[in-house]
Amino acid sequence: MTAPSTSIDGRAPGALEAVPRAATARRPRRSFGNPIAWLIFILGALYFIVPLVGTFFHSIRTRPDIFLAYRQVLDDPKFFGGLAYSFTVGVITIVVSLLIIVPTAYWVRLRVPRLRPVVEFVTLMPFVIPPVVLVFGLIRVYSSRPLVLTATDLGSDMILVGAYVILSFPYMYRAVDTGLAAIDVRSLTEAAQSLGSGWARILWRVIFPNLRTSLLSGAFLTLAIVIGEYTIANFLARTDAFGPYLSLLGRNQPYTPAAVSLISFGLTWLAMIAIAFLGRGARGRVQVAGAR
Amino acid sequence: MFKNRALTRTLIPLAAFAFVLSACSSPGATSAPSAASAAPSQAAPSDGASAAPSNGGGAGAEDPALIAAAQAEGTLTTIALPHDWCNYGETIETFKSKYQLDINELDPNAGSGDEIEAIKANKDNPGPQAPDVIDVGLSFGPSAKEEGLLAPYKVATWDTIPDDAKDSEGYWWGDYYGVLSFEVNTAVVANVPQDWADLLKPEYKGQVALAGDPRTSNQAIQSVYAAALANGGSLDDPQPGLDFFKELNEAGNLLPGIATAATVAAGETPITIRWTYNALSNRDTTAASGGPAIEVVVPSSGRFAGVYVQGISAFAPHPNAAKLWQEFLYSDEGQNIWLKGYCHPIRYENLVETNAVPAEQLAKLPDVEGAVFPSLDQLNAASELITENWDAEVGLNIQ
Amino acid sequence: MASAAQPLEQGAPAARPARRRFGWAWLGLLPFFVFSIAFMFLPATWLVLGSFRNSDDQVTLQNYADLSTGIIPGAFLTTIEVSLVTAVGGGLFGLLLAYSVILGGLPRILRTALMTFSGVASNFAGVPLALAFTFTLGQLGFLTVILRDLGFDPYQSGFRLTSKLGVELVYMYFQFPLMVLIIAPALDGLRREWREAAENMGASPRQYWQHVALPILTPSILGAMILLFGNAFGAQATAFQLTGGTLNLVPIVIGAQIRGDVLHNPGLGYAMAMGMVAIMGVSIGLYTILQRRAERWLRS
Repeated sequence: MTAPSTSIDGRAPGALEAVPRAATARRPRRSFGNPIAWLIFILGALYFIVPLVGTFFHSIRTRPDIFLAYRQVLDDPKFFGGLAYSFTVGVITIVVSLLIIVPTAYWVRLRVPRLRPVVEFVTLMPFVIPPVVLVFGLIRVYSSRPLVLTATDLGSDMILVGAYVILSFPYMYRAVDTGLAAIDVRSLTEAAQSLGSGWARILWRVIFPNLRTSLLSGAFLTLAIVIGEYTIANFLARTDAFGPYLSLLGRNQPYTPAAVSLISFGLTWLAMIAIAFLGRGARGRVQVAGAR
Repeated sequence: MFKNRALTRTLIPLAAFAFVLSACSSPGATSAPSAASAAPSQAAPSDGASAAPSNGGGAGAEDPALIAAAQAEGTLTTIALPHDWCNYGETIETFKSKYQLDINELDPNAGSGDEIEAIKANKDNPGPQAPDVIDVGLSFGPSAKEEGLLAPYKVATWDTIPDDAKDSEGYWWGDYYGVLSFEVNTAVVANVPQDWADLLKPEYKGQVALAGDPRTSNQAIQSVYAAALANGGSLDDPQPGLDFFKELNEAGNLLPGIATAATVAAGETPITIRWTYNALSNRDTTAASGGPAIEVVVPSSGRFAGVYVQGISAFAPHPNAAKLWQEFLYSDEGQNIWLKGYCHPIRYENLVETNAVPAEQLAKLPDVEGAVFPSLDQLNAASELITENWDAEVGLNIQ
Repeated sequence: MASAAQPLEQGAPAARPARRRFGWAWLGLLPFFVFSIAFMFLPATWLVLGSFRNSDDQVTLQNYADLSTGIIPGAFLTTIEVSLVTAVGGGLFGLLLAYSVILGGLPRILRTALMTFSGVASNFAGVPLALAFTFTLGQLGFLTVILRDLGFDPYQSGFRLTSKLGVELVYMYFQFPLMVLIIAPALDGLRREWREAAENMGASPRQYWQHVALPILTPSILGAMILLFGNAFGAQATAFQLTGGTLNLVPIVIGAQIRGDVLHNPGLGYAMAMGMVAIMGVSIGLYTILQRRAERWLRS
């Protein structure tokens, strides 16, 4: 096993294996874990869970049936219909976003690093354009000839996906870029090219598998955005989506919105867990440079 | 790997094909053909080419020609109609079942600015994103008319609408009004305030909240305007309202933040200033969930009434459905549904005269004796004063 | 890490045939730019054009002039401050959280739990988040009541959920998870061999972190922080629900001009949005300078 590129002082390959493990024995890897890590984790968990507990306590203030709010939500068929629709749109958005962002981030890193600030600026633009302005702009552009997309359901759905892909750009790009930074893109590409691969195959067989964590992060963020978004879905008349359903629920119900937010939180979390397990599929990072 | 190449090769052309297909499909492919209503092309405003006459008294909610024309269009697109605001939920359901029409509801939480923007952005759009009818604040009626966004129409009961609540040419007309009141969570507040001056008492420290941002929300701005009436001001002089809220804030009684039904029920904003109809609707839903008892108090002085107005979009894709909707709203039946939602419908006086209101409904309405209505000019001037000076004078600017 | 044979940053990789000149490489970014134009820049032209119009629909530069009047400069400062604080604070604790589950030796299931939870929490913003904190830390929130029973009244000591600090505290709810998700691949990329090599040479954990791990991670941390900055910069619903617009954040003021129930000047709102674009541009510029510095030693 050769590892010249990773040793700090250029020792001969194989030297690391010869070194006794005494130095690392005092902090064993797979056992109970670092107490500081536990402390941080518990603090974080408390910060996240306590507000949810507060919401829960509020939602069960209904009398005489303390789960009245939950029953009302779960009895409503539009709740699950909306979630299913938004989930589907979310998956499509993730796929489209990945197909655009991964090659772009890869190309920027590899061939056009000078354009990186430009690309990053463009990916951050969705933060500064108010969603209301974006959706009305989209309607204006795509409701006049030659491209009348708004008249049909399919067309409006396409605009919706397009808008959501744009909203996902900042997160997707940053996640993928961070992942690319952690792998040696140049060497991987050169090695694959020297074995005769074209660009598509490099991306599909070499880059994508190495970006598992990034792709999962990006997918999670995008799915959360799509499920929670309502301004764009509302004005595009996508009333089947989850966001519009939530807004129809009424801002002025005392207890139901709390129940809804908890239930949708839980269901979205389950969806993420499902994605995480799917993504666990074929393990194994491909590393050409550096030992495993 | 071989599969992936093939997959990519088929997916991309397929996607492109779908894109082109949807773009080239004729507009209006999904909505029912509007041949029967002889509706003009998307760009032209709806005019008298439809089955119902649009000048003078309209056709009425039972006119078969109008109903047929509306049914040919198949659907109506509304915007900014929350179901618990003036009982719009029941209005919508009744309309749908009575006339066998679909209603496509756009953002129920949209503000008046959004509704106007929606009309503008959808000028050429025949699809479901274009609103047919709007329900906006009083100031937006004339401004929308000026910008050419509204189509004139006079409902059958036009003459029973008070003159100062409608546009003489029929571009907009008032729909309902309410009075600003206090929504009080009696589980937290033992001694319920009865008037504006009571709110300043130290026992209400950290308990008074508005239902919106006074720089953007009609309800909140008019709360300030209403306080002026009780504080020595008048409809022409809203400044005392700002002074009142400044005092309220300095006493520590005024809370920042937006009060919702949830925050009232939780006791976080136990005294909230809202329209009577919203407060009463909240009272009912909170009671139905077994929450704390809410009392709605119309202040003894400073009774301020706010009107909202209806309009039909000049670019409505379904002009006849829009007209039918208006006819329905202004029929006795429609006005009574609003009344059930604790709103005073604009034809209230007329309804009472003709005994069109069931007695038990009348009894449930809050007593708004002595409420005053600002004129359009007074309202605009007051809104300007309040929105410009709220930050500086009330100084709720937090650090 | 870079090997000795690493080609220079600007040149084409050595293995590539010479027929492609550098000048055409940007075409590879065409799908990205075309998509951005189709679904973002084209719709945004109304925003740009609208910023040059006043409420009477005449062309004017007054909106840009008005950017320096009234509450607007303060709004920009406040927004930048809140975004910066939550970006840095959120970034640091998010990094620690990610470290704890990835490198801290905690059971694997906690990592999956945190990653998936972060996915949901990263977008748990707006009215539900504001209300969640209100129900917890509001005047009658359950935690406030517990603390009061224990003898400590946060409201007596001046704590207000509706203050700038309160808003920053609430913003962390979606900033921490965002940082966790973004920085995870970078932490994954820290090879165990580097740690072992450092320990071989006698480095303490602190020295390892200070001289090896953090320098490697810095570019990614910077990148994540600029994302957190942008994320907070554009956020408004949460703060609006909590403070009712009393905290002047730029997106809230823009919303007031564009969306409210009162006749305002949308052109001014659009001009403010253009101001946000400019600030984003400046931020990217600063970030790029910092980034180049951080990455310099990686390339040499």
